[in-house]
Amino acid sequence: MDTNRKSTKRLSTAKDLAKVVAEYYIECHQAKASGKPVGWMPPMNGGIEIFYALGLQPVFPENWSPVCAAFGLTPANFEVSERMGYSRDLCGYLRNIVGYVHGDMNGPSVPLGGLPEPDMVMSFGGGCIPAMKIFQVMEKRFPKAKVFRADAPQVAVEDIRDHHVAYAVSEMHRLIDFLEKTTGRKLDYDRLKEVVELSDKACLLWDEIMSYRRFKPTPISAAEIGIMFVMVTRQGTQIAVDFLTRVRDEVRQRAEAGIGVIEDEKVRLFWDNIPLWYNMGLFNYFEKMGGVMVAETYSAAWSLRLDPNNPIEALARKGLMSYSLVSCLSIERRKEMVMKACRDFAIDGAVFHQNKSCVPITLGQADIRKALAHELGIPSITIDADHMDSRNFSFAQFQTRADAFMEMLLEKKHEHGTPS
Amino acid sequence: MDHHPAVLPFMDTVRMKRHRLGQAASGGKKIIGYFCTYTPVEILHAAGFLPVRIWGGVGRAEKAYSLVPNFICPYMRLSLEGALSGEFSFLTGIVQGYTCDVACGLVNIWKDNFKMDLCHSLPLPYNDNRDARIFLRAGLHELIGKLMQIGKGFTDESLEESLTLYEEIRSILAWIFDRRADRGLPLSSGEVLNVVQAYFVTPPEEYLDMLKGLKGNLAGAPVPTDSGIPVLISGSLIEDAQALTLIEQLGFQVVADDLCTGQRGFFPIAGQGEGPMERLMDRIMKRFPCPSRSHPDERVPRLLDLIRASRAKGVIFLFQKFCTPHLADHPKVSQALKDAGIPSILIEMDEAGLMEAQVTTRLETFSGMLER
Repeated sequence: MDTNRKSTKRLSTAKDLAKVVAEYYIECHQAKASGKPVGWMPPMNGGIEIFYALGLQPVFPENWSPVCAAFGLTPANFEVSERMGYSRDLCGYLRNIVGYVHGDMNGPSVPLGGLPEPDMVMSFGGGCIPAMKIFQVMEKRFPKAKVFRADAPQVAVEDIRDHHVAYAVSEMHRLIDFLEKTTGRKLDYDRLKEVVELSDKACLLWDEIMSYRRFKPTPISAAEIGIMFVMVTRQGTQIAVDFLTRVRDEVRQRAEAGIGVIEDEKVRLFWDNIPLWYNMGLFNYFEKMGGVMVAETYSAAWSLRLDPNNPIEALARKGLMSYSLVSCLSIERRKEMVMKACRDFAIDGAVFHQNKSCVPITLGQADIRKALAHELGIPSITIDADHMDSRNFSFAQFQTRADAFMEMLLEKKHEHGTPS
Repeated sequence: MDHHPAVLPFMDTVRMKRHRLGQAASGGKKIIGYFCTYTPVEILHAAGFLPVRIWGGVGRAEKAYSLVPNFICPYMRLSLEGALSGEFSFLTGIVQGYTCDVACGLVNIWKDNFKMDLCHSLPLPYNDNRDARIFLRAGLHELIGKLMQIGKGFTDESLEESLTLYEEIRSILAWIFDRRADRGLPLSSGEVLNVVQAYFVTPPEEYLDMLKGLKGNLAGAPVPTDSGIPVLISGSLIEDAQALTLIEQLGFQVVADDLCTGQRGFFPIAGQGEGPMERLMDRIMKRFPCPSRSHPDERVPRLLDLIRASRAKGVIFLFQKFCTPHLADHPKVSQALKDAGIPSILIEMDEAGLMEAQVTTRLETFSGMLER
C-alpha cells in the first residue's frame, strides 16, 4: 500500500457520489456560462442557503482541495504556492488553493473543468485563520469580483449568548443586502423558508445515517465519509435530501439485514480529525485484521436543527455552531461529542490524527485522549500526518503503530472474552 | 555588555517577575493572565485584578508535548511548559481576546488542565460598524459580569481611572518609540524590549512611575553617534532580547517595529468617544492591526508609514516558527514592500531563539545588500 490510495466503499449509494460531485461542478460551470452570479465562500455557514434561495451559485474553494488531493493535483499546486513564498508550515488547504488559483486553473489536465472564476468573494473573519487568509488571497487574485467581508463571533457552542446570535443575525441581513444590491435579485422569504427546511431535513438525515453506526456489525464506516460532500455543497437543496435519503435507506436495510462493512468485525475504531484526502484507503487499512473505522469527527458536525419559521436566526445559529463543533473553540464540547460517539457506537479504540494542516482540530486531542482512557477505558494512538500534504505522512510509521495498536486491541478483546 | 543605568530597574523587574508576582498573589492580589495584547487589560485592572502577560521565554519544551503538538509557535509551547512546571501558579485566571487559533486552543487546554477561577475567551469583531460595536460592548459586559463574580467590583469611574493610567503609559512608550525613530534614544533595541517586557508583568501604577523616571533620565542623555543600518522589525512577539542584540551586533539599528511587544501593541494611545467604555472600544477597533485580525492591505500602508517616518532601509521579519497569521501574510506583505523599493528578509525563531550561525550569514548578506 502506498501513500496515495482511494478508499474501498461498500454502499452502492456512496458509489453514486462521483456522479453527484460531477453534477455539482457541471452546474457551477453552467451557472457561469449562463450569467448566473457565482460566489466563492467558506463552507459550513448559513451563506449557502441564502445563495440557493436567491438562485445564485455557491462555490467552495476549501472543498475543492480534497478534490485536488483525490485527483493528485496537490503536488503541482503546492509547488506554485511555495514558489510564491507560502511556507510549508501553513495549512495544506491554503497552500493548495493558493497554488491552484495562481496556476493553470481550468487547464485540460484539471478534472471536472476546475472552478469557475467568482463574480463575488465572500471573505470573512470568524473561522480559522488559514480560511480567513485564503479568502484574502482570493480577493487579490480576482480583483473584478465584488467582495463581501463577513464577520462571525468565535465562541464555544456552550457559551453562545443572545448577543452572539444578534450579531450573527445582523451579519446575515448585511449579507442579504449585499447580494441583493450586487445581483439585482430580491430574496423571497418564503423560498428561504423552503431552503432552510431542506437544510434541516438534510441534518436530520445525516444524524439518522450516523445513528446506524450503533449496529454491530456497522453497516457504514468512515470510508464512506465522502457523502458529506452534499452537506458542504448542497445543503438547502432537494438534491442533498434525495441523495441522503437513498444513503439512509441503504444503510437501514444493511443494518436490519445484519450486513457489515466486513464479514467478521472484531474491533470498532474511531478516527479523530480530517481524513488524509490523498489516502482515504487508510480507513480500510484496519479491515485485514478485523478492524472497522466505525465513526469519525464529522459524525456530529451537522447535528444541528434549523427552524424554517425563523430562517435568518436558524442560519445565524448554524454559522455560530458549525466551526465551533469541530475546532478548539470548545475542547469541552468536542470531548463530549467524541465520548458520546465512542459510547453510542461501542468503540474499542481511537486513532487521533495529529494533523499538521489543522491546528484547530489537533489542539485538545491530548485532553480528549486522556478522557477516553480515564473515563471510558478506551485506548488510543496518535499518528502524525497531514490532511493535504503527503510529504508529512510516513506510511511505514503509520503501519508500525497501527499494527501494534490492533494487536493490543485484539488481545484485550480476547482477554475479556469477547468474540474474536 | 554594559546596560544603560536607566533601564536596570526594568531588567530587574523582568528578571524577578515570578518572585514578585508570587508575592503579590500571596498578599491577596488576584492576577489574571493573558496571551495577546487584544485582551482589554483596562477592564481587568478596573475590576481590581492585575493583568499579566503570560511569558514563554527561551528554553526547551518537554512536558508540553504531552498536551500539544510540536507544530505550534514556541511561545505557546513554552508558556504551557512553564504552566506545567508551576511557573504560573499565582494566576487566578486567564482572559484572552480572540486572536489566533493557537491562543484560542491553549486557553481551553489551560482550562482543562489547571484549576483556575476563570478562563474566558473574548470574541472580537473583525469589522467595525454599528452592529460590531454593539456586539463588542455586550461581550465586554459579559466579561465584566464574570470578573465581578470573582473580583472586587467594577464601576465606570474605576474604568475611567484605568484608561487614564494606561493611556499615560502608552503615551510615554510612544515618546520612546518616536525618539528611537529620530535616532535620539540612547538605548539598544534589547534594552527597549526590556522596558516593554516590564510593562507586561508590573502593576501599571508602579510601571508608570518607572517610565516617568526613565523619561526623565533619557530626556537630556547623550546619544551614541555610531549607528547601524536602520531597519524595522516585524513579527508577533519577541521575548528574547538576545535576538535583537544579535541583529544590532551585525550592524543594524532597529529604528521601528511592528511587534506586539513593541509599537503595534501600544498604538493608538487612546480611543475616542463619550465615556470610558466607548473610548476603550474605539481603541480596540482602531488598533494597529495584527495579521491574525486583519487583511494585508490594511497592514501594508501602516508599515510603509512607519518605514518612511523612521527612515528604515529595510525590514527584518522575525517570526515565531509556525505562526500562521504572519506566515500567511508574508508573501503579500514582502511583495508590497519590494514594490515600494524596501528590501526584507524573513527569519524564524524556534524554542532556542535564533540559530545564530545560520542567521548570522543570512543577516550579513542582507546588511551587505542594504549598504549598497
